[in-house]
Amino acid sequence: MSTINVYQQRPGNDVKAESPLHHADLPSLVGKGRKNAGVTLREHKFLGHLTLRGSGHDQAFAGGVFKALGLELPVALTVVASGEMSLQWLGPDEWLLIVPGGQEFAVEQKLRDALDGQHIQIVNVSGGQTLLELSGPNVREVLMKSTSYDVHPNNFPVGKAVGTVFAKSQLVIRRTGEETWELLIRRSFSDYWWLWLQDAAAEYGLSIEA
Amino acid sequence: MSQVYRLSNGGRIDRSKVLNFTFNGQTYQGFAGDTLAAALLANGVDIVGRSFKYSRPRGIIAAGSEEPNAILQVGATEATQVPNVRATQQALYAGLVATSTNGWPSVNTDVMGILGKVGGKLMPPGFYYKTFMYPQSFWMTYEKYIRKAAGLGRAPLELDPDTYDYMNQHCDVLVVGAGPAGLAAALAAGRSGARVILADEQEEFGGSLLDSRESLDGKPAADWVAAVVAELRGMREVTLLPRATVNGYHDHNFLTIHERLTDHLGDRAPIGTVRQRMHRVRAKRVVLATGAHERPLVYGNNDVPGNMLAGAVSTYVRRYGVAPGRNLVLSTNNDHAYRVALDWHDAGLKVVAIADARHNPRGSLVEEARAKGMRILTSSAVIESRGSKHVTAARVAAIDVKAHKVASPGEWLDCDLVATSGGYSPVVHLASHLGGKPVWREDILGFVPGDAPQKRVCVGGINGVFALGDTLADGFEGGARAATEAGFKAVQGTLPKVLARQEEATVALFQVPHDKNTARAPKQFVDQQNDVTAAAIELATREGFESVEHVKRYTALGFGTDQGKLGNINGLAIAARSMGITIPEMGTTMFRPNYTPITFGAVAGRHCGHLFEPVRFTALHAWHLKNGAEFEDVGQWKRPWYFPRNGEDIHAAVARECKAVRDSVGLLDASTLGKIDIQGPDAREFLNRIYTNAWTKLDVGKARYGLMCKEDGMVFDDGVTACVGENHFIMTTTTGGAARVLQWLEIYQQTEWPDLKVYFTSVTDHWATLTLSGPNSRQLLSEVTDIDLDKDAFPFMSWKEGLVAGVPARVFRISFTGELSYEINIQANYAMGVLEKIAEAGKQYNLTPYGTETMHVLRAEKGFIIVGQDTDGSMTPDDLNMGWCVGRTKPFSWIGWRGMNREDCVRENRKQLVGLKPVDPNQWLPEGAQLVFDPKQAIPMDMVGHVTSSYASNSLGYSFAMGVVKGGLKRLGERVYSPQADGSVIEAEICSSVFFDPKGERQNV
Repeated sequence: MSTINVYQQRPGNDVKAESPLHHADLPSLVGKGRKNAGVTLREHKFLGHLTLRGSGHDQAFAGGVFKALGLELPVALTVVASGEMSLQWLGPDEWLLIVPGGQEFAVEQKLRDALDGQHIQIVNVSGGQTLLELSGPNVREVLMKSTSYDVHPNNFPVGKAVGTVFAKSQLVIRRTGEETWELLIRRSFSDYWWLWLQDAAAEYGLSIEA
Repeated sequence: MSQVYRLSNGGRIDRSKVLNFTFNGQTYQGFAGDTLAAALLANGVDIVGRSFKYSRPRGIIAAGSEEPNAILQVGATEATQVPNVRATQQALYAGLVATSTNGWPSVNTDVMGILGKVGGKLMPPGFYYKTFMYPQSFWMTYEKYIRKAAGLGRAPLELDPDTYDYMNQHCDVLVVGAGPAGLAAALAAGRSGARVILADEQEEFGGSLLDSRESLDGKPAADWVAAVVAELRGMREVTLLPRATVNGYHDHNFLTIHERLTDHLGDRAPIGTVRQRMHRVRAKRVVLATGAHERPLVYGNNDVPGNMLAGAVSTYVRRYGVAPGRNLVLSTNNDHAYRVALDWHDAGLKVVAIADARHNPRGSLVEEARAKGMRILTSSAVIESRGSKHVTAARVAAIDVKAHKVASPGEWLDCDLVATSGGYSPVVHLASHLGGKPVWREDILGFVPGDAPQKRVCVGGINGVFALGDTLADGFEGGARAATEAGFKAVQGTLPKVLARQEEATVALFQVPHDKNTARAPKQFVDQQNDVTAAAIELATREGFESVEHVKRYTALGFGTDQGKLGNINGLAIAARSMGITIPEMGTTMFRPNYTPITFGAVAGRHCGHLFEPVRFTALHAWHLKNGAEFEDVGQWKRPWYFPRNGEDIHAAVARECKAVRDSVGLLDASTLGKIDIQGPDAREFLNRIYTNAWTKLDVGKARYGLMCKEDGMVFDDGVTACVGENHFIMTTTTGGAARVLQWLEIYQQTEWPDLKVYFTSVTDHWATLTLSGPNSRQLLSEVTDIDLDKDAFPFMSWKEGLVAGVPARVFRISFTGELSYEINIQANYAMGVLEKIAEAGKQYNLTPYGTETMHVLRAEKGFIIVGQDTDGSMTPDDLNMGWCVGRTKPFSWIGWRGMNREDCVRENRKQLVGLKPVDPNQWLPEGAQLVFDPKQAIPMDMVGHVTSSYASNSLGYSFAMGVVKGGLKRLGERVYSPQADGSVIEAEICSSVFFDPKGERQNV
């Protein structure tokens, strides 16, 4: 018997599911924003989120992760991706793995097999957070209004990811493209972020994509 | 009759765009490009306000942020009122409404003026301190009077409709000020490729170049400005911020810039735009190019409208096409001020005379004036002006600067404008915000920034570099140096050619002598905003206020929004002379942020209204709303407080909810409890050390209540932790304690016990938690789950995994109500569906949602504590009568063990948690009420404890409370008394804190 309790937490597809921003009813807002809006927002919902902890200095750990995922452990403040899977550095001994929704249980088992015998932690946190994608020419201004972290391209190239103070709380900022950014937000704060982002983007125009 | 003082041509204004505005109820016209001050002067408005203390009429003196008098209330509606707006900084827009802040019923016929003349004598410096100190209770009355009389503007009474926000900026080089030095610095830094921010408080970049007589490369200086701005605009990494005042220089090169985005457009910001923005800048290097303020000379009646700064007159003539008079007298101690006479002459106006304090001035500008036939009186100065509401004449006399004496009776010259210049004071405010002491330089008669640890460069006027060619070179070099220091390679550049002029030294003259002594002479104002006279400063020094900081506070010199822009140096010079010391010996006062006033809106940014604080919601919030919940703030969370039905009040609702739980089954959203996933081979040992009780023998499948203490042995959190795998635990914490408990675990693992192999991850948001509680909870749950709920298969304090309403769940049999209870944990995305199905299935059991209030009552009936309500950081487990939760034989010295065994923590008679039962069951002990053993003793009574929780209970049939009482656990059955504010006394019996089902028969079924 395993010493860790791991189980399939996701029910079948016929079960009602509500993402953290469900109450905002984003689908009903699609196409209602200003034309040529400076900021476009969409929620990447129901993805599989796994927190992975282990020793970044341990070759066996990095090797096991690579064996299971085909991804090198990212170095500080970066995110690496392969297809729809991304692996992000969160701290010296902590990473966030995001996989397509529904794969998190299998991927966790695969990782546990590859890292068998090592001191690690893998925690399914898929229900506790969601990913917001912001794209458009004015996203940087919206971020500048919100965080004291320097989001200039010189300091925040594509592939960078930082956890930082944002407005009056905290979240993770990931830059995935020239004008594309992702915010990793906690479920309970999602309404605050939704209100904040609408407000900060108002002067540039905000459009919603499903 | 309109704009009678507008010149027929010239100025950087658009005469095709006429703008109407009102001042003190009267409508005037100005042009696009005007400041409010320029437009007022063009219309011949002399009096803009009444002075603070003496209620003397006051006019516009300056053309920039140093203006002390024209500080107005602006706003066309109640909601858009803005106080403390300097007319010299406010761009004119159509429909602008401005009023004076002082002067009732009007600035022209001021009742206070009469009082003021009397009041002036009655109000020497220190008047407030001397008079209003006693009786102290009268201060409130005095304050009301003073504030009204002071005329400091007023805040709007309605909500501001506009939007204000923050922008966080990072740059390599922040250049403060876009005059010649700042533009050159920005150019040099920008060309290097550095990220540059150039900020300037004025409507457009250029500073002194916008009204300069000088040419650059043979062309008007403004042409060079336009070319530089165009080049800067083309640089990708350069941010240009006009209308943006750098107001504060804070630690670590963090500076705040107040940008007014739409204040020049109208009373309200256009829809969808931000009115003002606070830029919060982190700069690798700062270039201070703040320039210099012209200093007025201090002479008799120098506050009568029509006395102005020489440079300001030039600015109005050349930049705004406004001549604030017809006949000019200039009083100066330097060459540069002669340009006003030349500008005045060029505009076709009469220069009556120039009084120059120097013996034999021969500089280029002086010779130019002389060549144009102007009358120059050397070794002379204006010693007083005359006029009630406007200057009608100036008295020019020969003076002996060294002896500080008037050398001739002088003559009265008819004029309507006295321009004055006493030299130039570098604007060292920002350089001094962090405490850097400015250094006096006798050669320029001004303070320049001293050494400072900040990574900054000062260029141009602030350095005492005044000649245009030198200023440009200094700026360019400083900008290049700043960029280089920030890691960029500076690019060579050529600067425009400037005509070199011969300039003669300025003579040190601050207060102009008068034939009467200072106390007897007409008032000589040093700080017009705070109504401080030369005589007041002399009086302050005579009364023993010798430190510059004391003089400042005694007289109000340089107070408030003024920050000593015009008066500081003159005041120091007068105090120094009065005490027979030099200005550097006198030293200078400190300057503080903000440089000029900032609206509260800009300070608050978007952190107001619904964005004031983050609000956290559970995954089930929409259901609570639908079911009519009232909410309670618990930390940042919104938790259902109670669910009123059919107009119930809180008491009725809570009574009904309590009864439903005790009789059948209730439902609580417990998702806000902190949840931490703990994994690792040493997880169990870690729990042994972090909790007070033992965890070695907790089997997989079981759960246990735990107490956590700080090192001092005082309880700081509690909760149930379940063993879900041999090396895997799920810890729960209090709602408010979730974040600090996780930090606590991490700190101890990382710093004290790094050898323990254990990791922690918060899963608070991942799991939604539904609690079913009550005798029918098993029956209800059995209808929606495949888990075997048999009491032997699934006993109290254990957990099971299975499907609930078709969703994988972990179900814990733990209880905070004393009833049979199940806590159902579901991945939060699926929680709503599960809740809906349970609610449907629960109808036949009268499943009743309940909130935190009912939860509190039910748990208190059982004597279960709430950390933070029944504890206050000073209570050990023994104080709480929870010694059963302390592992006294654990091998490792766990956190709190030593602390709780200190002498004071084990002494008799500590305050201990007990139950309190009012003797009259209808009486209710207020939470927080103090307790005494003897209610008849004299006040102050010997207080022996207080009430921590108190409720009415339907189950018990009487009200009950918990509280702490000295030695309470040995006093069970004794009485305590709670004297109330109304004089009544509530008597209560000390009893066990477990009021309901003391044997726990209801939860162990």
